[in-house]
Amino acid sequence: MLTKKQSMSKTPRFVLTSLFFALTLLLSTSLSAQDAASEEGAADGIPTDAGLVSAGESLFKANCTQCHAIQEKVIGPALKNVHERREKEWLINWIRNSQKLIQSGDETAVALWEEYNKTAMPAYPFSEDEITSILAYVKVESTKEPVAATTAATGDAQVASTGNENAVSSGYLTAILVVLVVVLVLILIVLGLIVSVLTKYLKDQKGELSEEDQEVVGQKFDLQKLLMSDFFIGAVAFIFVALLLKTAIDGAFSIGVQQGYQPTQPIAFSHQIHAGQYEIDCNYCHTGVRKSKAANIPSANICMNCHTAIKTESPEIAKIYKAIDYDPSTGEYGDNTQPIEWVRVHNLPDLAYFNHSQHVKVGGLECQTCHGPIEEMDVVYQYSTLTMGWCINCHRETNVNTKDNEYYSKLVELHSEHSKEPMKVEDIGGLECSKCHY
Amino acid sequence: MTMLKSINRLFVLGVVASGLAACTAGPDDTGVEYAPQMYHSTPYEPLTQIQSTEAGSWLDSNPEDGHGEFYNSNPYNKFGMTMIEPVEGTIKRGTYLADNGIDPTDYATAEERLVNPYEGKKEVLKEGKELYLRFCEHCHGEKGLGDGLVGAVYKGVTAYTSATVKDKKAGHIFWVITNGKGRMGSHESQISVDDRWKIVTYVQTLQKQ
Repeated sequence: MLTKKQSMSKTPRFVLTSLFFALTLLLSTSLSAQDAASEEGAADGIPTDAGLVSAGESLFKANCTQCHAIQEKVIGPALKNVHERREKEWLINWIRNSQKLIQSGDETAVALWEEYNKTAMPAYPFSEDEITSILAYVKVESTKEPVAATTAATGDAQVASTGNENAVSSGYLTAILVVLVVVLVLILIVLGLIVSVLTKYLKDQKGELSEEDQEVVGQKFDLQKLLMSDFFIGAVAFIFVALLLKTAIDGAFSIGVQQGYQPTQPIAFSHQIHAGQYEIDCNYCHTGVRKSKAANIPSANICMNCHTAIKTESPEIAKIYKAIDYDPSTGEYGDNTQPIEWVRVHNLPDLAYFNHSQHVKVGGLECQTCHGPIEEMDVVYQYSTLTMGWCINCHRETNVNTKDNEYYSKLVELHSEHSKEPMKVEDIGGLECSKCHY
Repeated sequence: MTMLKSINRLFVLGVVASGLAACTAGPDDTGVEYAPQMYHSTPYEPLTQIQSTEAGSWLDSNPEDGHGEFYNSNPYNKFGMTMIEPVEGTIKRGTYLADNGIDPTDYATAEERLVNPYEGKKEVLKEGKELYLRFCEHCHGEKGLGDGLVGAVYKGVTAYTSATVKDKKAGHIFWVITNGKGRMGSHESQISVDDRWKIVTYVQTLQKQ
């Protein structure tokens, strides 16, 4: 199929198009008050009256924005001035069934198909009027400046600057504190100097001082005497022993408690970005949490649901690619795979049994109850102590989630016969040794 | 003499205290474990692997096995892994429904042949929605308009109301979740067959909103 460009020699075509364009402009501006733009009003067959454009806008937003933008390339090409690049007839055929057009051997269509790595555009069963309205919207949008991009950029800049402000203000705070300390020390020195000068002055005028004043002036600060006094030695010894004892007791209680353990992982995965910023549900990756004892470390295929397209240049993502032998430039997988050796953070001793599904699915606990603010952690650390006292405490305080669970209805009935308190975990055997130790 | 004695005692207390203080866990240190054999299993642990044969040799209860107490690797597996993948061709219980001999990219046949066991059952919608919010929402958005937080940066996420997909039947949606389509990857390993049908049932209400 030949385009206009190829079918005409250059000069007359230029004149013709400019004439066309001028005519279009004239027509669309002068006649827009009437219904002139409705049918053959515009030279390219795409009238731009307000009703049509707004219909096109809603269609465009519902169907096209996933892959197309006006000003920039997304999945598909930028649509700015697409009505000038292609004929309306071609566009209609393409939108209705791009594959058919490609298979018919249309040069432009095949070129596009190749350029965009054979990503198929789905077939949209739009009527001609609907397509015209979308094109009208694109046409109107094409004349606008790329506003959205600039606002987004300034938005980013604002975020960055507020971040800087925070850093700056905390810097100021330290500076102010340092200055204050320096000033106070200076005042102290000056005061000391004044005192010594005054004493010296008074000493020089011995004769004119009374007995009491003499005593004050002659007073000597005996450091050695103070240091050797029983009170001082006793106080220092007490503080020292108390500190040592506290350290010793704290240390003894931390044996077997791995709270705060935050090992460096082989890939710098951030929960803060995934669970915090993008609010991806924990269950999406930790698929075992409602079904088994362990929440499970997600396999790399789950990473690849997004990272075939997101952050493909990142050196951290490259580590995943290496582990699964994936070539991001061709999108192909090899056989030379190797495991990613994540470092285990939470590890209960074998003497205790813990089951995730029991707590999360049945008990309805949030992940954060035990794992803390996971969505704020760049590197995961053990938030809770995971000691027996910690478990027991929760079993004593937590009400059993009996709502909509028939399994518990008889138990609740029995429980309420002799207690007014709601049924706690301890009431259904949450403190039995053999529940966790067997 | 008494002075010397008490200083001696203080010194001992100091040593004990600093020794105990070193038991606390730190960023790259698990701290001292009480009964360390309990923290390092003898049987193969699926989510633990210790490849060093030296690990825990100070505590070795079985010198004949040629490795330390904490060693936990399966020498017969590749990379000494303690987990192995199921034998090729294994079908997980409950997933036989998914494999109807339909080609992974043949959405039309899937749409025609696969039947949603929850078709028209409103009682699964609540669970379907819960599952949808867990597995789909971050890309497809709460209302399925393709406007989730991840979808916004990932691009190319389909809105269920768009003209191309709003009339797709359950089988098609099921096949897309199972095998992926376009930029969407396969979610077969994450979502069970049963859960997938529940999600499908909910997504069908989003198509018609």
